[in-house]
Amino acid sequence: MSEPLIRAEGLTKRYRRSTGGKGLTGFFGRSTETVDGLVDATFRVEPGEIVGLLGPNGAGKSTTVKLLTGILRPDGGSCSVGGLVPWRDRRTYTAGIGTVFGQRMQLWWDVPILDSFRLLRDIYRVEETAWKNRLDELAEALALGDLLNVPLRQLSLGQRMRAELCGSLLHSPKLLFLDEPTIGLDAVSKLNLREFLLLERERHGTTILLTTHDMADMQALCRRVLVLGHGRLLYDGSLHDILQRYDTRHEVRCRFAGEPVWQDIPSSVALRRDEGEWELSFAPHAIPADEVLRLILAAGRIEELTLKEAPVDEMVAEMYNALHLS
Amino acid sequence: MRYMMNAMRMNLRRAAQYRASFLMQICSQIVMTGGDLWAMLMLLERYGRMGHWEGREILFFFGAMHLVFSVTEMINRGLGHFGSSIRSGAFDTMLTRPRRLLTQVLLSELDPRRVGTMAVGITAMAVATALIGIEWTVWKVLLLLWSMTATVCLMLGLFLLEAVICFFSVQSIEMVNILTYGGRQTCQYPVDLYPDFIRILFTYVVPVALCLQYPVSRVLGRPMAAGIPDGLLWLCPLAGPGFLALMTLFWCFGVRRYRSTGS
Repeated sequence: MSEPLIRAEGLTKRYRRSTGGKGLTGFFGRSTETVDGLVDATFRVEPGEIVGLLGPNGAGKSTTVKLLTGILRPDGGSCSVGGLVPWRDRRTYTAGIGTVFGQRMQLWWDVPILDSFRLLRDIYRVEETAWKNRLDELAEALALGDLLNVPLRQLSLGQRMRAELCGSLLHSPKLLFLDEPTIGLDAVSKLNLREFLLLERERHGTTILLTTHDMADMQALCRRVLVLGHGRLLYDGSLHDILQRYDTRHEVRCRFAGEPVWQDIPSSVALRRDEGEWELSFAPHAIPADEVLRLILAAGRIEELTLKEAPVDEMVAEMYNALHLS
Repeated sequence: MRYMMNAMRMNLRRAAQYRASFLMQICSQIVMTGGDLWAMLMLLERYGRMGHWEGREILFFFGAMHLVFSVTEMINRGLGHFGSSIRSGAFDTMLTRPRRLLTQVLLSELDPRRVGTMAVGITAMAVATALIGIEWTVWKVLLLLWSMTATVCLMLGLFLLEAVICFFSVQSIEMVNILTYGGRQTCQYPVDLYPDFIRILFTYVVPVALCLQYPVSRVLGRPMAAGIPDGLLWLCPLAGPGFLALMTLFWCFGVRRYRSTGS
């Protein structure tokens, strides 16, 4: 087992929020309450992993990212990344990480993106030839070749996000933070972005920490997720496993040649007729799928059959419900 | 160093993206500062002198103050917009980059448009020099450069103070503007023309007089009735860098607080 890249022990961050108060008392003596940003989070991330942070809004995802990028200083617990403490060794530490925030641009708005990349080269003290090679590689992978001389403000959202990614990777960071990188992107842009991230990891062994509300992103990229809620780390493990747990209903749709004859339908299977098709919905933990198939085969000659898993978003909603997060 | 050069070039290029607007803003600034100058010249034409100062001497003070202030404004724009940098998250971005925060804030927004007001200041000083017939010596030049540099530090310190307040309050407090922009307007004229409380304010609280006006009066070969001991001429401007150093400490304190309270 290799040494973990990120090691967080009991990481805690609380915010003080003013509750306003009313009238003059609110103006003078302001009362505050404490809000849990993140409480007692302990986890590790191995080099080369892609880990997703999952949770509803306000669950503590951004707080976690801000603590790990050194933007915030925790109130308790400890955290080391590659032997450095993010908020204490800020300048050494940030030289080795990259960040992309989908909600805000980090490149300069008014100038051609190449100028931004040059300035980043100087900010991160990247050596000229190394920078040139890296830029060529990234510009090709991200299809930025023709856009280098266009100011950021004239790029589409998808192009901008690609430029942001390029900028955050020019200094070849070992660790990349992505905070909702696909927000607002169209389907093609999303697919390209995912493909690029996987390629980047394969080529350079980059470790990636990702927050997103897009479950398709999660499924495509992350094998492991951390589920957060109300500032607490609720689950740390495989995305597949946690989804299975909340995968409450499967559906099978089928069309028969002629009228089917249903026999001995158990109560755990709901049968419904929809125009010329039949729909069977069942809970996978109550009755195995092959049992359901056998019922269908026994009913008649099948013309068409489709098996639908519950949409991931619904599973996640189910999970948030079960964990009292919604 | 390379970062600095490149950042400057970048700010120039940004300005060049909007060439017409850039040129118009330079013009408008020349007109505005020129207006100040015009008003002063009218007053001086009417009255000839103010207190014990002759018109051409006051012109020199005016030029020095405006030159100092426009150099400051050229550098400090990032501090001036610091409140919005915090709100937009641009400051968070700076926290994730391996450079000193203050360097990043200052270099993020340099303002090349200030060449307009700088030109007005330099012109006023040049004309005054010719009218007075100042005999320049190496010492006078050095004293003037030192005092102007020190005053830029002082002004930067004030803008830094204003920026640090943004860490504690969402709204930037206009109080500080009384001292910065108010200071510029007030200290176009020698402070010994003013009532005591203003003179004391700009000598000991915001020591523009110590940093700039007192040395300038010596360059002009004139005494200044500001109550400053004579032997400390070269030390007085130290108040500027000193104030800036103090504000830099305050800045570090603000950054620590920001990072422990969240955004």
